[in-house]
Amino acid sequence: MKPTRGLPPAPIVFPGDEPFWEATRRGELLAKRCTACGELHYYPRMHCPFCGSDQTEWHKLAGTGRVYSFSIVARSPRPMAPAIVETPEGLRINTVIVDADVQALRIDDPVTLRFVNTQDGPPAPAFTTLAAEQARAYTQAARAALGPAGADDATRFQRAAVIGGGNMGMGIALALLAAGLPVQLVDNSAEAAASARQRIADGLQQDLARGRISAEQVAERLARLNTGTDMAAVADADVIIEAVWEDLDLKREIFARLDQHARPGAILATNTSTLDVGLIAAATARPEAVVGLHFFNPAHIMKLLEVVRAPATSAATLDGARAIARLIGKVPVVVGICDGFVGNRLMITRERQAARLLLEGALPEQIDRVLRGVGLPMGTFELQDMAGGIELSFRARQRDGRKDWLIEQLHARGRTGLRAGRGYYRYEPGKRRPLVDPEVTALIEEASRVEGLTRRAISDAEIHDRLILPMINEGAKLVMEHMVDRASDIDLVWQLGYGWPDWKGGPMYYADQLGLAHVVERLDALHAQHGEVFRPAQLLRDLAPTSTRISSLKPTR
Amino acid sequence: MTRPPGPAYIAGIYEHPVRRADGISTAQLHADVARGALADAGLTLADVDGFFCGADAPGLGALTMAEYIGLSKLRHVDTTESGGSAYLLHVAHAAQAIAAGHCNVALVTMADRPLAAAAGTALAGVDRNTMPNLPFTAAVPPMPMYGYGMVARRHMHEFGTTAEQLAWVRVAASHHAQHNPHAVHREVVTVQEVLDSPMVADPLHRLDCCVMTDGGGALIVTRPEVARALKRPLVRVAGSGEAIKHPNAGRIELLSSAGVQSGAHAFAEAGITPADIGYVSLYDSFTITVIVQLEDLGFCAKGEGGRFVADGNLISGTGRLPFNTDGGGLCNNHPGNKGGMTKILEAVRQCRGEAHPAVQVARRDHVLAHGTGGNLAGAHAAGTLILQAE
Repeated sequence: MKPTRGLPPAPIVFPGDEPFWEATRRGELLAKRCTACGELHYYPRMHCPFCGSDQTEWHKLAGTGRVYSFSIVARSPRPMAPAIVETPEGLRINTVIVDADVQALRIDDPVTLRFVNTQDGPPAPAFTTLAAEQARAYTQAARAALGPAGADDATRFQRAAVIGGGNMGMGIALALLAAGLPVQLVDNSAEAAASARQRIADGLQQDLARGRISAEQVAERLARLNTGTDMAAVADADVIIEAVWEDLDLKREIFARLDQHARPGAILATNTSTLDVGLIAAATARPEAVVGLHFFNPAHIMKLLEVVRAPATSAATLDGARAIARLIGKVPVVVGICDGFVGNRLMITRERQAARLLLEGALPEQIDRVLRGVGLPMGTFELQDMAGGIELSFRARQRDGRKDWLIEQLHARGRTGLRAGRGYYRYEPGKRRPLVDPEVTALIEEASRVEGLTRRAISDAEIHDRLILPMINEGAKLVMEHMVDRASDIDLVWQLGYGWPDWKGGPMYYADQLGLAHVVERLDALHAQHGEVFRPAQLLRDLAPTSTRISSLKPTR
Repeated sequence: MTRPPGPAYIAGIYEHPVRRADGISTAQLHADVARGALADAGLTLADVDGFFCGADAPGLGALTMAEYIGLSKLRHVDTTESGGSAYLLHVAHAAQAIAAGHCNVALVTMADRPLAAAAGTALAGVDRNTMPNLPFTAAVPPMPMYGYGMVARRHMHEFGTTAEQLAWVRVAASHHAQHNPHAVHREVVTVQEVLDSPMVADPLHRLDCCVMTDGGGALIVTRPEVARALKRPLVRVAGSGEAIKHPNAGRIELLSSAGVQSGAHAFAEAGITPADIGYVSLYDSFTITVIVQLEDLGFCAKGEGGRFVADGNLISGTGRLPFNTDGGGLCNNHPGNKGGMTKILEAVRQCRGEAHPAVQVARRDHVLAHGTGGNLAGAHAAGTLILQAE
């Protein structure tokens, strides 16, 4: 059953229009031509609306054009710009531009045909920009560069085990079950194991309710799930994925026990997002079999899987990790060990700047608007409200002992986000739309005073540069440090894990669009005022005067 | 060939005070405004022998309303529906019918309640299932405001019109609305406040868009003998014009409207030029609509509309061309998503000298009302009326 939410309704097909809709199924856009007077017309009629003749025939258009004018649908989940496109045949037609950077549209931009699915109907004609097509082509090439799409090596993975019945463990188990594997879920608490089983069952019920799977599939997947507290149950697993608390000692202890129970040749994976995989591997006698599999929340839905290569991880283990990823429908991106790997490393750099900008004079709504203008589906503060970011930040700071007056204030007032009805924004009951809250504005202003900062008006351009350029800078450092196999892998991580739109490439592709010389110039200026994180990475300096694109780089090992 | 129409006068007007009509049916609204206009004229239901209404008249339109309201002597009926501009066409058609001897006292009513009925921006009477062009824009969200956004975007591209200039239209309307106790928005706004309002249909902000209201209005058009015997100052229909423009099967041109044709005809009939006009009611579904219409009607050259409206040039008392002194559709009232009736009503008030003293123009012998119904970027109809004080 295909989900049809959010799709436009199927168009009404009037008598005589049938060939038009057959053509859209072939990816073609048809106008009509009158053989009596020679004029083209669109939308198609049976008669010629210029001379009145009946002698009209179908005429395939080139499928290209230029923007004559456009507007923009505000806050649309899929970028949409109602537009009039002028075709090379001289027609100006009402249409819509989709899947492109609609905020950057200009009159006369070149566009090309792209179709929009309708609910149970034929595709509807639309257009997209050439720039977006190029970014998508780059994305496809980047995906192809990751290696074969097929799960060729996957037959060696017949059974899986998951350690830890928490949120991530549950999601990982769901992903494994969906791929047809029997799953052994182990938690040291019987209650937690039973609760995990229940939550997995609930998750399957939700998928059933949304029409994604059938009742038979629900039963069949549950039948393949075993839960318990006995670590020995992992003995026949081909891959074991640990997903417990972020506690190095706990993970090392678990891996030491896995080492005793797991069969030879099994892959031992950890879902850690912040701990050193090498130190976890060192707790075993087979560090070559240990790898990081960093899933993204929710683990059964997000396609990105950061495969973390520890110093001792063997090539065979890496190949196996990639195969497992493909088996469960994930896209594996191999990364080296560093704080935050790839995705979070850029994200944290950006978040620090966002927090700083709040204290200097910006407000959440402005920062979020700028981020959405870049093409991200959500700004950082609305995302934090949705994902419980304030709670996470609070706990992280408790652990580190770092003070953050604003986070403490928000947390103390129960402003933990969407579920609480208020966070950085306030929310009306049952609604998700973030609304500006003067109480938060006042808290932010007070936070500035506490930090001894005088607030000032900050332009959208400065916000853009202070959020995005450090991300580009970190990306360049990752390439320099050989943390990724290709610079384009960084862009794939950001598309698949963080919502960077495929019609805009990714941070590295974007850097090339901005021009590396411009990026370095801006970073230098910001470095003078705002500190070390803006000092341009040497790679950017080296590339700036050349025509080499950073997104094309493959760091040699 | 244009010749002056036989004389006809607007002798009665009425604007319903509600802006949200919970607890009143559409039929009742039509009856209320009809009685209000008749009372203003000093006439009765029994005097009405011509009736004009649009698709907002419920049931079978004129037939249902004639019965409901109580019009038993009708010998002329016209239900021209051209979106919000319909009522300008109705007045012109009434004047022509009167001149031809087909009726003596014409009643025009308009009323609807989309807010109370949660009908959104839809126009009454439009059946989307039979519209032949709609399937070909299946992927486009079906809201008229994007078409107006496209007109604004092209106008900015070709002529350098700015967002600030668009905002001045709203600013001017708000200066007038502060004196209107029935207006939805009475607060005076600045250009910056318009620009700070959320973007709704880029480049149009929320304050570039008219209000959505319930309610309506009515007016009476009659023969000279009847008008002179009544109690209101005389307002003659001096000239009129109507025209339709559409995308012409793929030859869309966004920068001018059918107002070029309707305005030219109205001025020729009235035997005057734009310089003779002391007040204008210009259809203000959006700020860009006003700018395009000013150019098309000849108040300034094509492309100069933005510069014309800047710096308060539309504000009564200080600007060169006072407009929409009731606050317009932008601030006062745009009932049923149709603004044509309210445009005529304020033009009549100005012509009579009965507008609010703070906004009444001194030069009121010739006033103009103009409507653009439908979609400025798609198929639309323009109607122009020139009224003369006698």
